[in-house]
Amino acid sequence: MAIPHPKEIQVAVVNWLDERYPFTKAVDEALYQRVPNFANAFYYCFGGMVFILVVLQLLTGVFLSFYYVPDAGAPGNSPAYNSVQFIQNTQYLGWLIRGVHFWGANILIVMVLIHMSRVYWTGSYRAPRELNWIVGVLMLLCILALSLTGYLLPWDTKAYFATTVTIKIAGLTPPEQIVGVFLKDLLQGGPVVGPSTLQRFFTIHVFLLPAIITLLMYVHFRFIRAHGISEPM
Amino acid sequence: MADAAAPKRFTRRTFLGWWLAGLMTATVVIGGAPLLLYLWPAAPKGQKKGPLAISLATPVSQLQDGQAIKFDAPTSPNSAFIMADGVGDNAAGDLAFGGFLVKNNGKLDCFAVNCSHLGCPIGLNETAKSFDCPCHGSRFHLNGQRFDGPAPGPLSHLTWKEGTDPNTILIDGIILGF
Repeated sequence: MAIPHPKEIQVAVVNWLDERYPFTKAVDEALYQRVPNFANAFYYCFGGMVFILVVLQLLTGVFLSFYYVPDAGAPGNSPAYNSVQFIQNTQYLGWLIRGVHFWGANILIVMVLIHMSRVYWTGSYRAPRELNWIVGVLMLLCILALSLTGYLLPWDTKAYFATTVTIKIAGLTPPEQIVGVFLKDLLQGGPVVGPSTLQRFFTIHVFLLPAIITLLMYVHFRFIRAHGISEPM
Repeated sequence: MADAAAPKRFTRRTFLGWWLAGLMTATVVIGGAPLLLYLWPAAPKGQKKGPLAISLATPVSQLQDGQAIKFDAPTSPNSAFIMADGVGDNAAGDLAFGGFLVKNNGKLDCFAVNCSHLGCPIGLNETAKSFDCPCHGSRFHLNGQRFDGPAPGPLSHLTWKEGTDPNTILIDGIILGF
């Protein structure tokens, strides 16, 4: 038997898949679309950069969660803090994974703001694209909430007091005795910033917000496909 | 002439195809392998094997025949004993978080607390002078030999020696480092 060319194996595999579901058609529809010439400008790439950064955050976040222990423990001996120390100083490439997650989060906010500036500058928020602007703003709020909740997770002094301040600010929302107190209890999960706060922030950071932002990104891209790329003013 | 018309078994095109596919696979593997190493946990800093000093309520020399003392692995720093041998669920090198020092027919033995069936902690049966497992009813003589229940063999030994003062024994173990 003659040794097949790798291309023949590839064709055989794709044919097998295509006979069961039209994958090729779906991929072609997703990838091969004509891009108008005006969209070749570099400032139309910022949204894609935000997407890549979010994917990077999701991947490095999953990797971090393999070692992170969301347990506040006792003062001076907290599994949460110790596990971050372990990732940073002991685990092979842990410093890199955590570094990419940390700096990716910082750069992400910068890129989101640049992307929004471009959308504003080219007037891409105007009719009929208002809903996509609203979805984008919701994702900005998600990213800010992710930054806030992620900041507490190392459970060091800086994280603790940053969150204490945040919760105090939220607790001053007027009318203070009704909404402020409600928000404070909701965020804090107890009488003080403590283990229950860490657990809440962890759950929001790791389960709730990534799910929401993934869903919103899907909606965002379907809207772009439906409207097409906005023409320059 | 018929031979020349037959397809070659391995053409230059096929060779180059495999060469490129191999190159691309190697690039992905070299790039991805370090990340897979990240998934393999490193030993925590401060993890150290060595003898653990255990203080007993009764001095070793005053232990009566048929008497057993239970002890636990130290929790500060978090430590565990290392089994010297084992059958069934236990194996040499496995960790135990407690044990028994027992005197039987004048001979001192140190056993890991885990039953050889599925690792449940055994307890001393004072009246029958046996070690009984609460999970599935395995029973062991004070010399560690099984005489009842589903356990496949005897209890695991811990390697030990007497310490500097009469109440202390040294048992081979590990400081876990977390």
